[in-house]
Amino acid sequence: MWRTKVLAILLTAGALWAEVPKVLAVRGAKIYTGTGAVIERGNVVVRDGLVEAAGANAAIPPDAWIIEGVGLTVYPGFTNTMSTWGVPRSTSAQEPATPRGRGAAPAGPVARGPEDRPANTAWITGVELVQSGDASIAQARDAGFTSAVVFPTSGIFAGHGSWINLAGDKPGQMLVASPLGQSLSVRTSGFTSFPGSLMGAFAYIRQVYLDADHYQAAKELYAKSPRGMKRVEYDRALEGVLASSRVMLPAASRVELERMARFGAELKRNVVLYGGHDAARAIEAIKASGFSVLVSLQFPEKPKEANPDVRDSVRTLELREAAPAAAAALQKAGVKFAFYSGGIEKPSELRAALKKAIDAGLSREDAVRALTLSAAEIYGVADRVGSLEPGKIANLTVVDGDWFQERSKVKAVIVDGVKYEPAPVEAKKEEAAK
Amino acid sequence: MKTLWQVGGVLALAACALPGADLVIQNAKILTVTKGRLEGSIRISNGKIAEVGEKLMIPGGATVVDAAGKYVIPGIIDCHSHIAADSINEGSVSVSSMVGIEDVLNPEDIDIYRALAGGVTTVNVLHGSANAIGGKCSVIKTRWGKDVKGLLFEGAKPGIKFALGENPKRRGSTPSFGATTLRYPATRMGVEDVIRQAFTDARRYQADWKAFEARTAKGETAIPPRRDLKLDPLVEILEDKRFIHAHCYRADEILMLLRLADEFGFKIRTLQHVLEGYKVANEIAKHGAGASTFSDWWSYKVEAFDAIPYNAALMHKRGVLVSLNSDSAELMRHLNLEAAKVMKYGGLTEEEALAMVTINPAKQLAIDSRVGSIEVGKDADLVIYDQHPLSNYSKVEKVFVDGVMYFSREEDEKARMKLELRKKALEEKQKKPAAAPGRRPA
Amino acid sequence: MRAILLLLASLAAAPAQETILIRNAYIHPVVGEELPSGSVLIQGGKIAGVGVKLAAPKGATVIDAKGLHLYPGLINSATNIGLSEIGAVRETSDTNELGDFNPQLRALIAVNPESEHIAVTRANGITSVVTLPQGGIISGQGAMIHLDGWTWEEMSVKGDVVVRLNFPVIAASSGEFFNSRATAYGEAKKRYDEELEKLRLFFEDARRYEKAKSAGGAGFQTDPKLEAMLPVLAGRRPVLVVARRERTILDAIAFARRERVKIILAEVREPGKALAEIVKDKIPVILGETHTLPAEEDAAYDSQYTLPAELHKAGVKFAFGSFDNQFARNVPYQAAAAVAFGLPKEVALKALTVHAAEIWGLGGQLGSIQEGKVADLILTDGDPLETKTQVRSLFIQGKQVSLDSKHTKLYEKYSRRPQ
Repeated sequence: MWRTKVLAILLTAGALWAEVPKVLAVRGAKIYTGTGAVIERGNVVVRDGLVEAAGANAAIPPDAWIIEGVGLTVYPGFTNTMSTWGVPRSTSAQEPATPRGRGAAPAGPVARGPEDRPANTAWITGVELVQSGDASIAQARDAGFTSAVVFPTSGIFAGHGSWINLAGDKPGQMLVASPLGQSLSVRTSGFTSFPGSLMGAFAYIRQVYLDADHYQAAKELYAKSPRGMKRVEYDRALEGVLASSRVMLPAASRVELERMARFGAELKRNVVLYGGHDAARAIEAIKASGFSVLVSLQFPEKPKEANPDVRDSVRTLELREAAPAAAAALQKAGVKFAFYSGGIEKPSELRAALKKAIDAGLSREDAVRALTLSAAEIYGVADRVGSLEPGKIANLTVVDGDWFQERSKVKAVIVDGVKYEPAPVEAKKEEAAK
Repeated sequence: MKTLWQVGGVLALAACALPGADLVIQNAKILTVTKGRLEGSIRISNGKIAEVGEKLMIPGGATVVDAAGKYVIPGIIDCHSHIAADSINEGSVSVSSMVGIEDVLNPEDIDIYRALAGGVTTVNVLHGSANAIGGKCSVIKTRWGKDVKGLLFEGAKPGIKFALGENPKRRGSTPSFGATTLRYPATRMGVEDVIRQAFTDARRYQADWKAFEARTAKGETAIPPRRDLKLDPLVEILEDKRFIHAHCYRADEILMLLRLADEFGFKIRTLQHVLEGYKVANEIAKHGAGASTFSDWWSYKVEAFDAIPYNAALMHKRGVLVSLNSDSAELMRHLNLEAAKVMKYGGLTEEEALAMVTINPAKQLAIDSRVGSIEVGKDADLVIYDQHPLSNYSKVEKVFVDGVMYFSREEDEKARMKLELRKKALEEKQKKPAAAPGRRPA
Repeated sequence: MRAILLLLASLAAAPAQETILIRNAYIHPVVGEELPSGSVLIQGGKIAGVGVKLAAPKGATVIDAKGLHLYPGLINSATNIGLSEIGAVRETSDTNELGDFNPQLRALIAVNPESEHIAVTRANGITSVVTLPQGGIISGQGAMIHLDGWTWEEMSVKGDVVVRLNFPVIAASSGEFFNSRATAYGEAKKRYDEELEKLRLFFEDARRYEKAKSAGGAGFQTDPKLEAMLPVLAGRRPVLVVARRERTILDAIAFARRERVKIILAEVREPGKALAEIVKDKIPVILGETHTLPAEEDAAYDSQYTLPAELHKAGVKFAFGSFDNQFARNVPYQAAAAVAFGLPKEVALKALTVHAAEIWGLGGQLGSIQEGKVADLILTDGDPLETKTQVRSLFIQGKQVSLDSKHTKLYEKYSRRPQ
């Protein structure tokens, strides 16, 4: 029953697709270009999937399909910088939707050391798991998102992230860039297979990166003069690790943030910390590391089912206070950051979380930048996405009002120059009822 | 608003009214451990003990702590603890020398503060005992409120944990922790075999690197050997750059390890627990290993059934360097009282008893030039007790690390009120969980 | 010291129920005035006289205790002594039976008089202990035993001092330990309610049984399980309720009120608001180790150290137990640790002697140096609550008992090993 409904929605989307106009323009809207100040009233022109112009006086070509922009706000398309959108639940279900949840014990042989490459699928990229028809893609668009960096989620070396646009017939069409960074976790499962502890996970990661460097050096030496030298054994895990120099390290609490700031420095790679909730208390270490941070929008809250006789520790209470303010603290310290959904499964719930970050001191402009250009910069793809500069991919979020206000409505998103309107409320209600 | 876990910073300020000014603890009964006992004062300058004497001049601007009727001893050193770490055992493999406590140190572990409140200023944070060769350990000071770097005892020689007997062989006979397979070894014979194999591998690895270095020195092109994080620490042991702290119980296994070490040409720095050490005290003394034992634990498992509370005194009398450790976040809070037990069981003197939780563990960790006694030039790690610290009626009043007051019972009592107020305020604020984000009709 | 040596030499030939006069001792009777130099006469296993100067009856062994202190033997109010030898070896442990409700089980009859723990524990001045079963919800009956005797029968002071009840707890867990499953509060609460209901039903069964028995119908059949509940229902046998935290203690007290049974609380840790209820119902408490970490991160570092003083201030009567064997000998130091954190010294000593005896309903027999009481006595060279103090002689039921143990024997043996 549910499947049929999805299909019906897809067919609707298909119908839209058939009428794709070559040129689109939003006229007279408030514009966040992503790079600089807000333009209170201006035009954005999109042609052939790219931004042609954006500005107060940007000329609207005669062949453009016009969206009347009065009362609307145009943002560069919002990006969920660490997600499993597009990955069918059956694939990602062995773990909670949060990248790096507490994993189930890995099936398979017991690992006796780093050499066995346990919990390692470093060669996988997110885009390989994406299915273009997955329901989460349309849901994400409806919530105002045009892009996501999709990661595999199981194991310690989960694999690489892929920046995808949230529309397209085939994953290949959706892909913007990949591989963008190895997603690491330090969650281990059980006590009996290596690594069976937090410190084991650190030792493992450290050894794999040493092995990767050694592997590369050995391959190069061998390629120079193979005669008389033992050939290097192919190692797909190391090939995977070497595919990107970006490393995603999990760190939410102060202790974890400081710990990963130290550990990340050892790896001598381009490190991005994800989690970030306690950033304010670890700000010196983060700043000194030079790493950027992805802030999880799943802020810690008191569990719905808590023991009324047990009081939470001040540490727990303080972290709940601190999490929404983490972004503001990073902004103040000049640390580059972006946002990701964390464990929040429904894209429609992300806005409320972002509003909390704003209420805790982050300016709207800075929030928008984090959702757009900063995201692109962190992944090294700001040359093609993240702002409304001419020539960039035409990803736009068009909102009736201010997106961060609960009453606002996502009017449309434009992905690769194609306009998508949110599914009618009735259809969604029906879907929710299933 | 400071919470309890940030209280260290507050005290640091309170104790040093003027930054850089001297601190004088006066009118105290001072048990120096190495230089006898006196009634007088200790002057602290730049975190070090500058002067100890019956009558000292108090420099202008100095902070004075009056300790009339009270006792001062050097900060307690625990040579075997598992506090301040977010994981303890890499139990999957029988040789886990690739892992290290430093990676998982948690400076916010409340047990650090509690240990501090029990007079402990230096801690050897050890890996667990699930494997014949365990992980690397870290020596820390209980500088509550500092980050990992601030906790680490600067320049302390690195160490590693070994373990013999029941614990490392357990998984060879009983699949546990959900394992379906058995792990070698299952016997004490196998434990020796695992260690012997590991050092055989380490020697080969060491030779491979030397050969590589020789080839590159001659200008030849060669692929360097693969860095092996498991074997690196073992090579360090062979090159006397890393201490071994070996968990052990029975006399046979203790002797085995000493002989294996003799054979490979390295030393066992400390035998940990070593509950049957009294049976082979001669051999331990001859090897030069230290013994870090419990005061009176026994009977909790078969290999602890011949444990006797006279162990420490017996080993001490045979020339073994003995310390008393805790292996427990609670026990470490009253190691002074554990020390008193060697007076009861074996008739050691007060000074010998106190040495077992101060200068002796300092020597075992090779940090005795810095800590372990009240001597001029040493770190001002000091504990003030209201009564004689070997009395069960005593309690800690103040603790200084590097001359900074990190614990004061008085300040702690004040901080409790503040903590409770803060907690109430936060609870109130978070009472109504804001309707789950975006929980609207979708 | 010389007196002791002489005494030990004569020990082998001593008759079981000899007459002993201890004189010139500093007597700490615990109840009543201290005698800085006095005598105690032991006859027929009992204290026959206490005075400044007593004359030695004919044939009495006279012990000159000059410079030594005489105390009543200490009581450890919770152990597994005799039931468990090596914690990790199942075969040596008889503490945990199968099943949730076993009030009929008797610890006494499983006490092994050869247990090494007996000699090790008594060497520190502990002359009697309560030994407890510990499994299920109702574990069985605990016994007060002397730490001397050829058989458990001879060791027995009272075979059924208490029935142990491990009060159900709401066992929610985060599942952070190895392979342990997280248990949500709701699930844990449900299980808790079910267990409480089972407990209620068990008492209801016992009451029906009681009625049936007193009605004396022809069809009445004896049920050992329910039979063992009759003294409990009649208030003659107290229930030792293990309850650590506020919620559990409150529920346990409510249970006791409803069932109208006499309870003693055990291992109270964080009583919170329940303290007032403990006071109100005058419930005695057996405290666990004073040296214990607080359960909560935010608790004061000394919250367990100050607990005995707080109970005392509130007017609660308590004793100390080790709740294990390994450290059973250290129970005097638990009491001393509480003194460091505010408990008056004399209360600490009473908790190890007369208060313990009273709580266990043995106030007429044990716990003080008074005429007529069982002659459980220790001669020490100082305060028995201080570690460095040595116990020089120990008397159980008027008999001087050896202070040797597995530990002293191994010590002597290996002291003799050539260097």
